[in-house]
Amino acid sequence: MIEVKSLKKSFGHLPVLKDVSFAVSRGDVIAIIGTSGSGKSTLLRCLIDLEKVDGGTVLVEGDPLVRDGAYPHHTQVRQITAKMGMVFQSFNLFPHMTVRQNLITPLRLVTKKPEEEAAGLCEQLLRKVELLDKIDEYPATLSGGQKQRVAIARALMLNPQIMLFDEPTSALDPQITAEVLKVMRDLAEEKMTMLVVTHEMGFARDVANRVLFMADGEIVESGSPGEIFGSPQDPRTVAFLRRELEG
Amino acid sequence: MGYILRLLPSLLSGAATALVLFFVVLLCSIPLGFLFTLCLRSRVGAVRAAANVYVYIFRSTPLMLQLIIIYFGLPYLPVVGEFLKLERFSAAILGFILNYAAYFAEIFRGGLLGVDRGQYEAAQVLGLTKTQTTVRIIIPQMVRIALPSVGNEIITLLKDTSLLYAVSVPEIIKNAQIAVNRDANFTALGLALVIYMALNFVLTVVIKKLEGLMKWGE
Repeated sequence: MIEVKSLKKSFGHLPVLKDVSFAVSRGDVIAIIGTSGSGKSTLLRCLIDLEKVDGGTVLVEGDPLVRDGAYPHHTQVRQITAKMGMVFQSFNLFPHMTVRQNLITPLRLVTKKPEEEAAGLCEQLLRKVELLDKIDEYPATLSGGQKQRVAIARALMLNPQIMLFDEPTSALDPQITAEVLKVMRDLAEEKMTMLVVTHEMGFARDVANRVLFMADGEIVESGSPGEIFGSPQDPRTVAFLRRELEG
Repeated sequence: MGYILRLLPSLLSGAATALVLFFVVLLCSIPLGFLFTLCLRSRVGAVRAAANVYVYIFRSTPLMLQLIIIYFGLPYLPVVGEFLKLERFSAAILGFILNYAAYFAEIFRGGLLGVDRGQYEAAQVLGLTKTQTTVRIIIPQMVRIALPSVGNEIITLLKDTSLLYAVSVPEIIKNAQIAVNRDANFTALGLALVIYMALNFVLTVVIKKLEGLMKWGE
């Protein structure tokens, strides 16, 4: 579904992605783990065109988002990124809109779907994240966990085929990460294709079918959760997991 | 009381002049100011530089001097001067608009800086176009951030209308002074004070209402 080949990206002289390659199949739930600064968030942001790469290829269902570092016309880039939804660490809900407007307005602006259809979808998704009672609230009145669940529902409104999560629980108190992880777990069970940059080792182990460990701008090791957590090969993976799991 | 009633017509006609200036300037300088904000953030270096020079000139010199130059000075320019002979009130309106647009440009620029970068990113990944993002996502948040400063400017603008004096357009203070000199009685100036306070009271209430409308649950 997604093919990433030899992706390269630098910020100034600092290389953050050095020759990253991997593939995503439909229904995959891939956890991307690693220390901060390892390039995992940048990798995710490159896939949805929030960062431009310096080299390499990204194919989404065979269509190039970027091929050998060259981008197609921006309308094609938009067509490709429209297949993806993204959830941010800092939620990025629109503060001047109610929960309902946060969900409906983008859909209506982008797809011109009729009002009733959008409203129906909005209620359905809010029910799914168990926040239907907050439909007319402003984001400022919600807790962090509630905001993130609204953000997930907002992304789902546009019917994405792939969901990208950039540290979705890192800004949350430990006791409320569970409510967000539950929604993500439900999505995974519905066979949503998901790429999740996370520090939640429990989620990576229990929900992901594949784990990528990144360090210094490279994918050092990848495999099933059993392989990565059970018998990590690279000393950097071993050291990282020891820190995370003991921490 | 009878004396106050006799003073009122000339003071209120002065207030009417001031209010016409006030509303015309407000309606023109806010959109113009936002246009200059966009210039200040333009990707084209020359546009950015021009906007910065403009803002610098109008913010670093007194409005009174600007009015005097626009009304008395421009007609003396070689060649183009004869086309720049403006009627007093028009000259004042032009000066006020140019001056206030410079301030609003800076206020809105500050407002834009206050909008989180994540808002642009969320809009982009949801598929909104640049125009949709600016109009539907960024401007409302910019307005809220800028509102207290804009309110300040609006109140200042009402008081600055007294600078019409500089180009001899009769307004509240001028008319009050005429009465003071004629009658050797300070009541008219006291009345002018009350008129400014009453008008600004209304403005303050309106601004507070607007701020209340943009609380967004906070």
